[in-house]
Amino acid sequence: MNVPAELYYSKTHEWIRMEADAAIIGITDFAQDALGDVVFVDLPAIGDTVTAGEAFGDVESVKAVSELICPVSGMICDVNQALEDAPELLNEDPYGAWIIKVSPVEDQEELLSAQAYAAFCAEEE
Amino acid sequence: MKRTPLYEAHVAAGATMVDFGGWEMPIEYPTGIISEHLYDRRYYGIFDVSHMGRLWIEGPQRLAFLQRVLTSNAAALIPGRAQYCIIPDEHGFAVDDAYLYMFDDRGYLLVVNAANTDKDLQHLSGYLAEYDCTLTNITDQYSSIAVQGPQSAAILEALSGAVGLAEMKKNDLGVLTIQSRTVRFSRTGYTGDPIGFELFIHSDQVRWLWDQLIGQGARPTGLGARDTLRLEAGLPLYGHEMGLDQDGAGMPVFAVPLARFAVSFAPEKGDFVGKAALLAQKTDGTAKKIFSIALRDRGVIRAGMPVYQGDRPIGYVTSGTMVPYYCFDSQGQILDTTGKRSIGLAYLDADAQGDVHVAVRGKRLSAALVGRHMIQNVPPYGKAVIL
Repeated sequence: MNVPAELYYSKTHEWIRMEADAAIIGITDFAQDALGDVVFVDLPAIGDTVTAGEAFGDVESVKAVSELICPVSGMICDVNQALEDAPELLNEDPYGAWIIKVSPVEDQEELLSAQAYAAFCAEEE
Repeated sequence: MKRTPLYEAHVAAGATMVDFGGWEMPIEYPTGIISEHLYDRRYYGIFDVSHMGRLWIEGPQRLAFLQRVLTSNAAALIPGRAQYCIIPDEHGFAVDDAYLYMFDDRGYLLVVNAANTDKDLQHLSGYLAEYDCTLTNITDQYSSIAVQGPQSAAILEALSGAVGLAEMKKNDLGVLTIQSRTVRFSRTGYTGDPIGFELFIHSDQVRWLWDQLIGQGARPTGLGARDTLRLEAGLPLYGHEMGLDQDGAGMPVFAVPLARFAVSFAPEKGDFVGKAALLAQKTDGTAKKIFSIALRDRGVIRAGMPVYQGDRPIGYVTSGTMVPYYCFDSQGQILDTTGKRSIGLAYLDADAQGDVHVAVRGKRLSAALVGRHMIQNVPPYGKAVIL
């Protein structure tokens, strides 16, 4: 399982890249592996506000639906529209296929380091 | 949890194992459900279906017993043929759906759903005392592998030296000899592929047979793709399109379009369990029926979602997901292009038709009731019928 050291993680298996002007959010390798083939992503709209710990969309595999939980609060400033036609990007490149960008970030959950997240996943398995 | 003799083979292949009807079964292999589904439609897939219940019926009055407890006309079976049937209760509801095989004149094999095996045995045993015959659970002694898809006949011919397998009729049975071992087979399946087989073999030889098929290039296919394949074929699954509905009420057998092939009122069949209720269903129709439903909007329909015609609630989705398909050119040649679509089956008011809506987590998405999701009767490829 791939857990890039430079990212932060939530216990609901989202990753967060903190950049100077925005938080970029996606789902982890662990999440995409557990989901199986991703066939649909229900994306929010640019300009929507999100709250840390609450759902901002859904990701659907053949088997099931999972909510996407936002690790930060703020406004959605960008959405990865490529996922509408190619949701499988979440399987193929989970850390390249970001889902939303939030800016400004007003609040955030307690996030896990890569090491802590890897340990958390090992416990879940 | 129970395991089939192929459990180690699944784990070695990297399968994700899940609880299915009390059995630890592969839901998918590392390539995933979409890839397995497409590979089956284009080439072939092999499925471990050893978890299904195998019941053996023998004895002088076996035929009279089966005529009483099944909906089909078992007297119409001749050695070398199989038929689809329902195990009905006295009220015209399905205890289970099943396949009855007559390989030779020694007895009958009845294959039932894994999760229902114990229930079926208990139900059927209740009628056994009146007949001079026996009912034996041989699930553990025998195992089954389904080999489905356009090239399934070729792979079995390559292994056995047999010829003409693709030209056999649906429900024909036969015997293959592979490396001097006996493998019984039927021209049946649960994928909708125009060509497909199910193999029956002693459990101590099934791993050998599985490895022979893998050696020919077959790819193991899990229960996830088995479900998307049967959904695309519009085939009912007990617990979804049969059994109890969302409110816990029995779903009439004739609500499933396929039931008309499974229920016989032929005079030689005589009286059978639930006959009066089933005849009333056939004559009067049922209040609700199973429809094929296809989503027009983006999204995915799932089991349990309510369906509306205009503002009127008319029922719910019984099975639904996103399935992949191959595109074909105007000459019917298969292309490398693939797509995905969300389709399902739904239990709706019998007069429902045309355009409907499905409530998908707060949104109302546009969908249509369709005649079928795929064309299944033109070999070698099952072709998606796209909305």
